[in-house]
Amino acid sequence: MALLKMPPPHGGELVYRVVKKKDFAESMAAGAIEYELKPTTTPDGVPIRHVYREIMSVCYGFFSPVEGSMTQNELESVLKERRLENGWVFPYPILFDISEEDLKALDVKEGDRLLLKLKGQPFAVMDVEEIYKIDPEDVATRTFGTPEKNPEVVRKPFDAKHPGWLIYRCMNPYVIAGKWTIINEPKFKEPYDRFWLPPAECRAMIKNVKKWRTCIAHQTRNVPHVGHEMLMKCAAFTGDVEPCHGILVNAIIGAKRRGDYPDEAILEGHEAVNKYGYIKPSRHMVTFTLWDMRYGNPIESLLHGIIRQNMGCTHHMFGRDHAAVGDYYDMYATQILWTKGIPSFGFDAPPNEVDKGLKILPQNMAEFWYCPVCGEIAYSESCGHTKEKQKFSGSFIRGMVAEGIFPPKVIFRPEVYKVIVKWWKVFGYPFVNKKYLEIKNKELEVDVPPMEIPKA
Amino acid sequence: MVYYIGLILDEKRLEQIKGTPLEEKVQSLFGGQLKMLVVEVPEDKANEILKAFDRARIDSRGFLEDLPVAFKRALFEEVAKAKSLDVIDKVLERLPEIQEAAKKEDEYIPPPEIEV
Repeated sequence: MALLKMPPPHGGELVYRVVKKKDFAESMAAGAIEYELKPTTTPDGVPIRHVYREIMSVCYGFFSPVEGSMTQNELESVLKERRLENGWVFPYPILFDISEEDLKALDVKEGDRLLLKLKGQPFAVMDVEEIYKIDPEDVATRTFGTPEKNPEVVRKPFDAKHPGWLIYRCMNPYVIAGKWTIINEPKFKEPYDRFWLPPAECRAMIKNVKKWRTCIAHQTRNVPHVGHEMLMKCAAFTGDVEPCHGILVNAIIGAKRRGDYPDEAILEGHEAVNKYGYIKPSRHMVTFTLWDMRYGNPIESLLHGIIRQNMGCTHHMFGRDHAAVGDYYDMYATQILWTKGIPSFGFDAPPNEVDKGLKILPQNMAEFWYCPVCGEIAYSESCGHTKEKQKFSGSFIRGMVAEGIFPPKVIFRPEVYKVIVKWWKVFGYPFVNKKYLEIKNKELEVDVPPMEIPKA
Repeated sequence: MVYYIGLILDEKRLEQIKGTPLEEKVQSLFGGQLKMLVVEVPEDKANEILKAFDRARIDSRGFLEDLPVAFKRALFEEVAKAKSLDVIDKVLERLPEIQEAAKKEDEYIPPPEIEV
């Protein structure tokens, strides 16, 4: 068996569109048309997305080879075949949407340069390639699929109860396409600062510091209960001639659905797993990607594969109901995609077996439960005591947390539970609610240093 | 069809049902580390509960989950008072009061008094 090594970035090269030299950055922005970034909100004003997160993820290379907001042809290509115009697999529309009113006020045209401001400060520039109109509901529906067009895995029509569909549905009707370049790097606040590891740095860390030849990625939007911990430990037994050297936890940070845990608790909860030795730190590292989660199950799994391949992982674990909410998709949709493909979404074969596909290797995992007969946490495909199983139901655990009951250590490690309570005390609530989303939208994960732009 | 609601018992709740017939109905989960009473809910009553609380749902085990804390507290109060698990009608009589309390839970749930 050949020994595995770190795969190349998706598309061949890592995108890095961040200007560090101050004078060059200032000259890029001089004379550009200014625009303050705004959140995407629901009709009743709840912030559910902030495009700055997409700009960060594109410019630091998490979404390589994407370099900015998509043109109309690229959008069509992604919606039809999940491919960029250059043929590389990419699952989601990345769009800089704008209202008709703002577009008129900007008076911008193709060839112009926009200076995008965040929290009142210069943040990035955007070179306008195209301006076009979209039907947000059409984009939303085609992004996630329909039971008629994607019968392999879509079980019911998407609607406003699905947080990802709602994000696209609530977008403005005009899109400005063009490449983004960050000219004034934001500074991450605590606790985000100690988990920020963009792809180029993550690859260097894995190779030179951790010295992991193989590394399996763990997608998370959760504070880890012991079932998650067992998933990580057991999935990491895959590898080549030996188990994976490392486990890279990569949390998705951004606006989430109500009832999920606050981002701060997710990061520090995973950190507690290694800090207190449940998986030793030399084998476990916690990082994050900025992205307002779309909960797109198989579609989201493609993005996850791309991000983690760009970060330098050899493998990616995929569980049942991966990145899912509700029962819009078959609960095994992601595993179907990575086992045999989903032709209606443009995959006659798994995404790592198609031309210009991914190089990261999937590790599809079934369930973990507590078995009172075995007296241990068991893997569903090994344990024969299916009648006696006691499942790690997420909603059951959330109910226990909400009632303020200290969970037994077989469900939550005490140090992990204390992280939940720490942030509960900060926000007055253990989960994401409207108030948390509003605070998050106001404060964001970053501050932007002051920057003076000379007049043109 | 019958659905279920699991009532987790911490030490305080276990103390309240000590010496009652409910003690025999306590189920042990996760190697005895978690104690629970399971209340059966007929389908029509389950539908009434789902209608009253928009985030409530039935999970793959047939358990009603994502119920407000106020609902769970009221359910336990009635169970402890009646020393019986057959109390769902009593709880449904208190629905307006529970819904009112549940509304406040969207904004604030008091954190447990533990050192972090």
